[in-house]
Amino acid sequence: MTGAELVIKLLTEHGVESIFGYPGGAIMPIYDALYQSPVKHYLCRHEQGGAFSAIGFARASGKTGVCMATSGPGATNLITSLADALLDSVPVVAITGQVSQAVAGTDAFQEVDVLGLSLTVTKHSFLVKNVNDLADTLRQAFVLAQSGRPGPVLVDIPKDVQLAQVEYVVPRSLAAVETSQAAMPLQQLQLARELIASAKKPIAYIGGGVHMAGALTELNDFLQTTGMPSVTTLKAMGSVDKSNPYYLSMLGMHGTQAANIAVQQTDLLICLGARFDDRVTGNLQKFAPEAKVIHIDIDPAELNKLRRADCAMLGDLRALLPQMAVATNCADWQQYCLNLKLQHGWRYDHPGERIYAPLLLKQLSERMPDNSVVSCDVGQHQMWVAQHMSFNTPRNHLSSGGLGTMGFGLPAAIGAKISRPNDTSIVVSGDGSFMMNVQELATIKRFRLPVKIVVIDNQRLGMVKQWQQLFFNGRYSETDLSDNPDFVSLAAAFAIPGHSISRKDEVADALDAMFTWPGPYLLHVRIDETDNVWPLVPPGAANHDMMTDLPQWED
Amino acid sequence: MSTNSMSTQHTLTIQTGLEVVAVERLLQVTRYRGFQLCGLEMKPMADNNGLLVTLNILSDKPISLLTAQLNKLYDVQHLELHAPAAAVLRA
Repeated sequence: MTGAELVIKLLTEHGVESIFGYPGGAIMPIYDALYQSPVKHYLCRHEQGGAFSAIGFARASGKTGVCMATSGPGATNLITSLADALLDSVPVVAITGQVSQAVAGTDAFQEVDVLGLSLTVTKHSFLVKNVNDLADTLRQAFVLAQSGRPGPVLVDIPKDVQLAQVEYVVPRSLAAVETSQAAMPLQQLQLARELIASAKKPIAYIGGGVHMAGALTELNDFLQTTGMPSVTTLKAMGSVDKSNPYYLSMLGMHGTQAANIAVQQTDLLICLGARFDDRVTGNLQKFAPEAKVIHIDIDPAELNKLRRADCAMLGDLRALLPQMAVATNCADWQQYCLNLKLQHGWRYDHPGERIYAPLLLKQLSERMPDNSVVSCDVGQHQMWVAQHMSFNTPRNHLSSGGLGTMGFGLPAAIGAKISRPNDTSIVVSGDGSFMMNVQELATIKRFRLPVKIVVIDNQRLGMVKQWQQLFFNGRYSETDLSDNPDFVSLAAAFAIPGHSISRKDEVADALDAMFTWPGPYLLHVRIDETDNVWPLVPPGAANHDMMTDLPQWED
Repeated sequence: MSTNSMSTQHTLTIQTGLEVVAVERLLQVTRYRGFQLCGLEMKPMADNNGLLVTLNILSDKPISLLTAQLNKLYDVQHLELHAPAAAVLRA
């Protein structure tokens, strides 16, 4: 068989049924091998969209997402998505065609140094120079993408390698990659148990690493046994059982006041699969100033990177969490945290007839079918989704956390729908973000994907505008999007029906109509340009110094 | 992590793959993580199965922040940190 046929053979060997991509000159042999193969290819309308769909597929399913692109501009268009996957630890294998080795390094047509470009945005990348190395390289790529801390792996395959003849050999065992079982850190576990047992105000700070480790059951057992309050990062929303009364929701820049106040006062912060990201900590020097820290992660480079831990453990949370589940004596602290939740609960009694996005999203959350997957874009609406929607697993909340990539939502929802065809896939986007990968409406049309799209439109680049209002003296530089297209007409051009609303009393019926419609649907929601995201921790401030909106309504 | 005006010179010896890109990765990580390179030597290992790279690093941050990142590189086979040289004033 040819190298190109071997690529498809190896995809099937790894159980890959769906891939996302866009063809071009240097990857034509692989696309020829794909023709009439059992692997279903989803033609996206931009390589960035294809790679985001692979990310959505991976995040919604836990499987490895696969995307393909040709050399040169095809490969460069993947770069943003690969960076997104790296920062959010998403297992993706990207396959790129490359010019033939006979002309490599000559600035050939559509030649770019993809291996060089990939260095900073992948967990690892390979250039396959010999067709006899192709099988092992691809197998290694799949192992690497999922092992340890997951991430994107790129395999660049020159055209002559794709065309060369090779024999398929059944896989031999691969060299172990980050799979060695770390010995149980008995001394550290004993120290952790002592710290937990003696803490008066402990709190668990839960990151995306917990669900990626498959440790949600162990986490909730741990929280149940210890009774300690908990907070989550953006990526970990949905990790804690909804019935847990001491869950304080998201912490950080747009976290809840209860979460931020509690973390600032805790005497023991237990960081589980999280990384003290700056959007979480605010001013790092002032973050949880009284706390001792227990930090557990699968990535050794995260331990002591930003906050020195009193007890650091490298390892599998599924194994370690049960070992730390000891009773605590923190009833006063529990009650204090319950009071914080009551005192700082969300309010939805927004005055006037205009649609209030937090209330809209609460209604959406209440009306969406069970186990719906919600993909967001980036900006104000993204934070409102995190604050006002409810999820029962992180797999149901797809949000570009680390890179914060506008344009993520629509293609990610496509990938989610393909990975979980029986579940509802919803995009919540903003008018700025939606336009960044709007071409993927064509993908929805082509494959008749019943994706539900909610575009929250304030005719502004809202989050930037909010910062200009608060921190740049109201100088609204290049954030006016009042020349947006008619979004309902735009969707109609792709045979997607839609509806536009601007009043609160239209919301319930509009959401029902969207969910009742059997196919894709776009709901355009006009909101007031002056609505902002609250609370907000200003840059450089400690998390307890949150800004809250000037009251627009009084009791 | 706090920083001060004193920098420390460290020497790392790293066994890595034979490909040029393996060295590129070492240098990229060193630069991106904010460490100053003040010396680089490399030669093939005795069995010609990889490269032995020696990096001299000047840093006012804990060197563990760099070694932890370098150790994650797939093509790093072995990394050894040698005892630091005497502290030197930042240039």
